[in-house]
Amino acid sequence: MKRTTRLLALATATTLTLTACGGGGEDTGSGDDGSGEAMDATGETLSVWIMEGTNPDATPFFEEVSTAFEEETGATLDIQFIPWASAHDQFVNSIAGGTGPDVAEVGTTWTPEFGDAGALMDLGPQIEESGLGDAYVSSVLESGTYDGAVYGAPWYAGVRSIIYRADLFEENGIEPPTTWDELAEVGDALKEADPDLIPFPIPNSTFTTTPFIWGAGGEIAVQEGDTWTSGLDSPESVEGLAYLESLVEEHELSTPAASTWNEADTRDAFARGEAGMIISGSWTPKSIVEANADLEGKLGVVPIPGPDGGMSPSFAGGSHLSVFETAENQDLAWTFVEMMTTGEYAEMWGEQTGFFPATDDLLTRLEEAEDPLVAPFALQMKDGSATLPVTPLWGQVEGAQTIPAMMESILGGGADAQEAATTAADEMNEIFGS
Amino acid sequence: MSSPALGSARRPWLLLAPTLAVIGILLLWPMVRVVVLSFQDFGLRELVRGGAEIVGLQNYRDILTDERLWRVALPNTVVFALVCVVLTVAVGTLVALLLHRLSPGWRTLVMMAVMAAWAIPAVTGTYVWVYLFDARAGFLTGVLGQLGLVDVATQNLFTERGWFYAIATLNVVHHGFPFVAVTVLAGLVTIPSELPEAAMIDGANAWQRFRHITVPMLKPVFAIVTILSTIWDFKVFTQIYLMPGGDGSNREVLNLGTWSYITAMSQNQFGLGAAIAVLLTILLLAITAVYLRTLFKEEEL
Repeated sequence: MKRTTRLLALATATTLTLTACGGGGEDTGSGDDGSGEAMDATGETLSVWIMEGTNPDATPFFEEVSTAFEEETGATLDIQFIPWASAHDQFVNSIAGGTGPDVAEVGTTWTPEFGDAGALMDLGPQIEESGLGDAYVSSVLESGTYDGAVYGAPWYAGVRSIIYRADLFEENGIEPPTTWDELAEVGDALKEADPDLIPFPIPNSTFTTTPFIWGAGGEIAVQEGDTWTSGLDSPESVEGLAYLESLVEEHELSTPAASTWNEADTRDAFARGEAGMIISGSWTPKSIVEANADLEGKLGVVPIPGPDGGMSPSFAGGSHLSVFETAENQDLAWTFVEMMTTGEYAEMWGEQTGFFPATDDLLTRLEEAEDPLVAPFALQMKDGSATLPVTPLWGQVEGAQTIPAMMESILGGGADAQEAATTAADEMNEIFGS
Repeated sequence: MSSPALGSARRPWLLLAPTLAVIGILLLWPMVRVVVLSFQDFGLRELVRGGAEIVGLQNYRDILTDERLWRVALPNTVVFALVCVVLTVAVGTLVALLLHRLSPGWRTLVMMAVMAAWAIPAVTGTYVWVYLFDARAGFLTGVLGQLGLVDVATQNLFTERGWFYAIATLNVVHHGFPFVAVTVLAGLVTIPSELPEAAMIDGANAWQRFRHITVPMLKPVFAIVTILSTIWDFKVFTQIYLMPGGDGSNREVLNLGTWSYITAMSQNQFGLGAAIAVLLTILLLAITAVYLRTLFKEEEL
């Protein structure tokens, strides 16, 4: 999986660099007074970047959307799929070359960065005009808002919990963990039951690391006034990291290979039946079963436990749909954004991907459903989720891979948690300029 | 004839103009741009909105005082490149000598095998090596484990700087030796057979013949392959970036190329990244100059 994706990413990135010569578009007709209904953009094309892999059946979905969009506006859609792993670089390249799309799916943590750089259009007026200000889930809307401008319309959100092999748990009389001690015990029990199984692989991923920092009461970064300061080296954060380290080193619940895995590698291993529990997103059970039909009906989900019960907060990620400043027809672009983020297509997207739609009424409907593969995620989303710092500088922290580098030195390099956390905090503070 | 000195002075330039224009646009302009960038504080915001601030030598000062340059990036780049160049040229020369002695049929066969290594794109080749050294299921990891060199239960080779670069060296040498072999073979063919024959009659053994006939005769060829290999191995990027941890998550394995790219493209510090690239270029030029001087010192150039 990972290999082909990276390969493709590299090829695409190269192509982009080579063709980075187009000029910036001009704004046309952004001052018109007409409503979206009367839009006639026959013959125009709207280019859209969507992240690859969110929806396993993305092609039929977008075929349907394209047809509906063409009926409504007369314009055709040009959808391109971008792999997550290289998306940030690709955005930067395209912004540099003025070859960006009209509309793009932007990861919630990147929106302030690109918005602050002037690459994205402020959607605030459009959202207000359409009366959508209260419809979107507020946390997702906030993560796209910087300095009073809304650079991304909430599209979908997701959260990570623990997915486990319910069949193995049942066979060995193991109950899903509700505290950190139990998590380690469950891992030990799984290891004893089957020494070949990786009980709880810990990949090098921000999303696996952060719940344990938050769970112990630590913070990634705290804002005071206008400056952010890293909280990675606080005693609480270090305690969380030390716990994670103990799962690997003392309990040996992971595998050396996992120290260079990302989330997708971990999911692949789980889908192959090699792992007992993994931290994985609300959107993944479906693709796991799709990859390995033998696992149908054998999965269970439990929120990530807190140290002494409760939940460890997990990152509530998701995507915005943003309109690029270079979009030629910004009204047309907004029509598309509105169509995708509300109503029928937002709901269909949620159903197909396992992500939560980012409007309140659609989310409520999901919470009430009692699907065992959905309900624990919904619980985690509602009561046990957190977001990464909302600052344009966060994109740089992600780009610098500060947290993965910290995990790499803990998992692979043999540094202790305190040492690694201090280095990472210093680096983060340097980026924050604090 | 009718048009004297003036016309004939202009004509060469006219003929060169198209080439110069193409080189200027594709080569010189980006180079100038990188140098200019390296003196600016240039981020994503400047990229979109324009108006970068000139900061003089600040970027260079930042890099030269960065511990990461001296402890990680520079040693990784220089030691790795030197080892790769020596191994590439040595293996390439040995293969060339082998090819030279083979009968035409066998030569074609070996040549095809050598060419296959050359033809594999760097990206593909890298993934094959990564696959072979995978910590859980890699074939070569298993072999190393059997030999007792690696503890398969606790080690992930890609997280260890030494092993990481050992694997990268294998990859780069494997990809680079065919060029050396083919070039040196072309040189070997030009050595008149009388010379080694005469030496043989004088009682010179194989090593002496290689040392005193082949090497001096092929000096220009060795100079070319060494310089080209040096350039390639110093600026190696793909093979490092695509290995697990090579994209910046493992700071111990950064080299100047990946460091420059990550600084510029992932962190949007284009000025700083450009400065690293300029330093890499200067280093490369310096090494090539020193090497050329020592190589041709005795001979009048």
